[in-house]
Amino acid sequence: MKALFIILVLGTLSFSGSSDEAYQKAMSQSIEQLYQAKSIAEYVEVANQFERISNIEKTEWLPLYYASFAYIMISFQEPENAKKDSYLDQAQKYLDQAMIIETNESELYLLQGFLYPSRINIDPMNRGMAYIGKMNGSLDKALELNADNPRVYYLRATMTFHTPEAYGGGAAKALPLYKMADEKFRNFKPKTELSPNWGKEINETELKKLLETQK
Amino acid sequence: MKTFFFLVSLQLIISCTFAQVKFTGRVTDQKKMPLSGANVFFQNSYDGATADSIGNFRFKTSLKGMQTLKATFIGYKPLLKQMNLDSAKTITLDLILQESNDQIDEVVINAGSFEASDEKKAVILRMLDVATTPSAQGDIFGALCTLPGVEKVGEDGRVFVRGGESYETKAFLDGMNVSSPYLSKMPDLPTRGRFSPLLFSGTLFSTGAYSAEYGQALSGIVDMKTNSIETEDKSSVSIMTVGVMGSTTKCWKGASLSLIGDYVTTGLSNLINKQQVEWIKNPAGIDGTLMYRQKTGKTGMFKVFGTFNNSGSGLNYMNTQSGVFQNIILNSSDVYLNNTYNSMLGEKWMIKSGLAFNYDLQKFDLDKDQIATANKTVQAKVGFSRFLNEQTELKFGADWVHSSYEQKIRMGGNYRLPFANNQLSAFAEMEYKLSKKFATRIGARTENSSLLKGTTLVPRFSGAYKTGDHSQLSLAYGQFYQNPEDDYLKFAPQLKPEKANHAVMTWQYLTDLKTFRVEGYMKKYSDLVKYTLPLATDPLDYSNTGSGHAEGIDFFWRDKETFKQTDYWISYSWINARRNYKDFPVAAVPNFVSEHNFSMVYKRFFEPLRTFASVTYSFASSRPYHDPNLQGFMNSRTQPYNDISLSLTYLMEILGKQSVLHLMVNNLAGFDNIYGYNFSNSPNAAGHYESTPIKSPYVRQIILLLSIQL
Repeated sequence: MKALFIILVLGTLSFSGSSDEAYQKAMSQSIEQLYQAKSIAEYVEVANQFERISNIEKTEWLPLYYASFAYIMISFQEPENAKKDSYLDQAQKYLDQAMIIETNESELYLLQGFLYPSRINIDPMNRGMAYIGKMNGSLDKALELNADNPRVYYLRATMTFHTPEAYGGGAAKALPLYKMADEKFRNFKPKTELSPNWGKEINETELKKLLETQK
Repeated sequence: MKTFFFLVSLQLIISCTFAQVKFTGRVTDQKKMPLSGANVFFQNSYDGATADSIGNFRFKTSLKGMQTLKATFIGYKPLLKQMNLDSAKTITLDLILQESNDQIDEVVINAGSFEASDEKKAVILRMLDVATTPSAQGDIFGALCTLPGVEKVGEDGRVFVRGGESYETKAFLDGMNVSSPYLSKMPDLPTRGRFSPLLFSGTLFSTGAYSAEYGQALSGIVDMKTNSIETEDKSSVSIMTVGVMGSTTKCWKGASLSLIGDYVTTGLSNLINKQQVEWIKNPAGIDGTLMYRQKTGKTGMFKVFGTFNNSGSGLNYMNTQSGVFQNIILNSSDVYLNNTYNSMLGEKWMIKSGLAFNYDLQKFDLDKDQIATANKTVQAKVGFSRFLNEQTELKFGADWVHSSYEQKIRMGGNYRLPFANNQLSAFAEMEYKLSKKFATRIGARTENSSLLKGTTLVPRFSGAYKTGDHSQLSLAYGQFYQNPEDDYLKFAPQLKPEKANHAVMTWQYLTDLKTFRVEGYMKKYSDLVKYTLPLATDPLDYSNTGSGHAEGIDFFWRDKETFKQTDYWISYSWINARRNYKDFPVAAVPNFVSEHNFSMVYKRFFEPLRTFASVTYSFASSRPYHDPNLQGFMNSRTQPYNDISLSLTYLMEILGKQSVLHLMVNNLAGFDNIYGYNFSNSPNAAGHYESTPIKSPYVRQIILLLSIQL
């Protein structure tokens, strides 16, 4: 009888202990799904999962980080400008919440540096200058917090590549940056299994494409 | 038995634990349209689902007891629902979400106003549009002249709104008064704004029926919003055919400081561009601006904006009235300092406060005579807004302005004309959003002047109704008071404020890339200052017996979509205005009013050439003037006004630095515009009043600028 009671108590204990396990599992599944997502619907689905997780795990910044990331990706797929902006507003909302939980995280500043230029395409003539300035500010901060964050180098390379030569951009200037990013990605170890770990493949692809056009 | 009972209960517990409740249902908006992508979940677990393309969702949960179900979707208010999960096995739910009011496609109160903003989404102009309009030559007020409702008055350069004089349009900076927004002005020559458009992230320009927050303006307001915190250290230098300019910005955590300075000298430019006036001292000046921004707490922002200007010019001026040439030397100094602090106070209150100081001194030397005018203004303002609920916002505030004026005249003797005024104002306004489609704003403003010894109270109203996804109809009405100009008050402080009533109706269609807007208005003036002789010194010669009216229709069309990499806008205004004020013997069309005003701005980026080109064409129909050689009053008309201006911006790199080469040409086609005529005070021997035409100081003006980002 006593033994049963103990088992029951232990059972409850292990059940409550498994909440962290449930978080790990839910997160790693959702992250996997996020990296696989292609359509708007798939991204919304996974963003919603992160929203649900963040709703319970109020001290974790990662669910909010990924929810924000998903909405930035959605904005790229959305054709209508007004909607793009509202998706980016949503991304900003999650990011702001994450920044309250974790004030000194390089990855969050990096994501901010990814979000700002996403707004430029909606109205490049008017938004270009302002948002490039804001982006640079965020990326500087991301680098200050972690000088080895490879995604900062990747974003810098991409922005340089897409900036007209007249503004100090272009392929020739982007190439060494992509190489640098590649090196940083090779040496990069995410802090935990759930930590942000995207960008390596796309950086390699872009670098390869660039090297081929140079031949 | 005991064991059996225990086992049974254990069984029960286990079965309960694993008995899941199945949820199915549909998420829709109030019109039953499916909300695909909505998130439906329980607040205490990860269990939930995303609504599919027809709004359906389905999921299971092992939660028990009372739980809170939540449904969220972008642009809609979250829905919370309490439910007991103990008894049911399958629950079917229809969830209806309500749109939240903070969406971009909601109705916006905007009758009478044009907003240029880099921060808000649904606006007609961006600040860059203002900076790159060629006819404006980088002047904010010049750019506003390409908008409907503004008259082209070439010899003045200030903003004349809808049959009103230029002093009737007041400038504000972050909501605080700017008593001298323009550089000092030589007779018959245009002036321009003091501030560079690059200092601002937005401008609210209202041509009528504006909010109760603004007072002391009979016709219009221009509220310029200074840039927020900078996020990047940067510096630049510019070399122009009219001088040099430099700026630098430094950022810290939660703060930034920018310094901008320039030295303008027109000697070279006046050689290149043939002048139609005779300068004895080419206009030159020095400016400095400081901007400091500091975040305080989570929502607070403290801003300091300080600027000074010192300039001088000299002209050999044909004074037709007295028939002699005069040497006019003009020297002016201006200091403006503005501090504002805005913050949320708790969840629902917001405070906006500010302190501003302005000192302006203008010295005219006319041959041996001198007129020196000094104006000092101190302002303190505080305003609160409170969200009573999601639909209702209440705003109120108070404002104290102390101004002191002193004119010293040395003209065969010394004269002093000083006066001071304490102006106290308060306003309250309530904005109520009945639905996403319908909003109203009702307000009132009261003002008391120590000089004019009187108190005024005026109502303001506006309403807007959405007529479609992108269109809306707005109505606005308001009454406005403004103290008479300093030039009258210095002689006659017993005058009362002048008064105007506005009624405005607007229909607007606005998408990201296209805007169409038509606005009709009626304006009535009363209590305008009237006198028998200009510059009469007897106070009793001045009275508030003048009146006037203006009616018109303004059209605006902007299209960034139809032509590739091209953006253009067209403004047309028709106005019918008459006034009986000043020394007018009868009601007449004032000389600054042209019945038809048209302007077109065309901008295009030529990518292979790395060049951004803009062209403005402006047209204004003839303006009346009074010819004493003919019968009647305001009996003659000028030729219509035409102008084509061009600017080219070429992007390049100099020593690895981003650089811009900017060319501006004003009056490219060399139109010989005549704005009016000056007549002599007395007839010549043949009994004829001689006249000289009032013209632009140059035929054509070319300015070249090279800017390098360091």
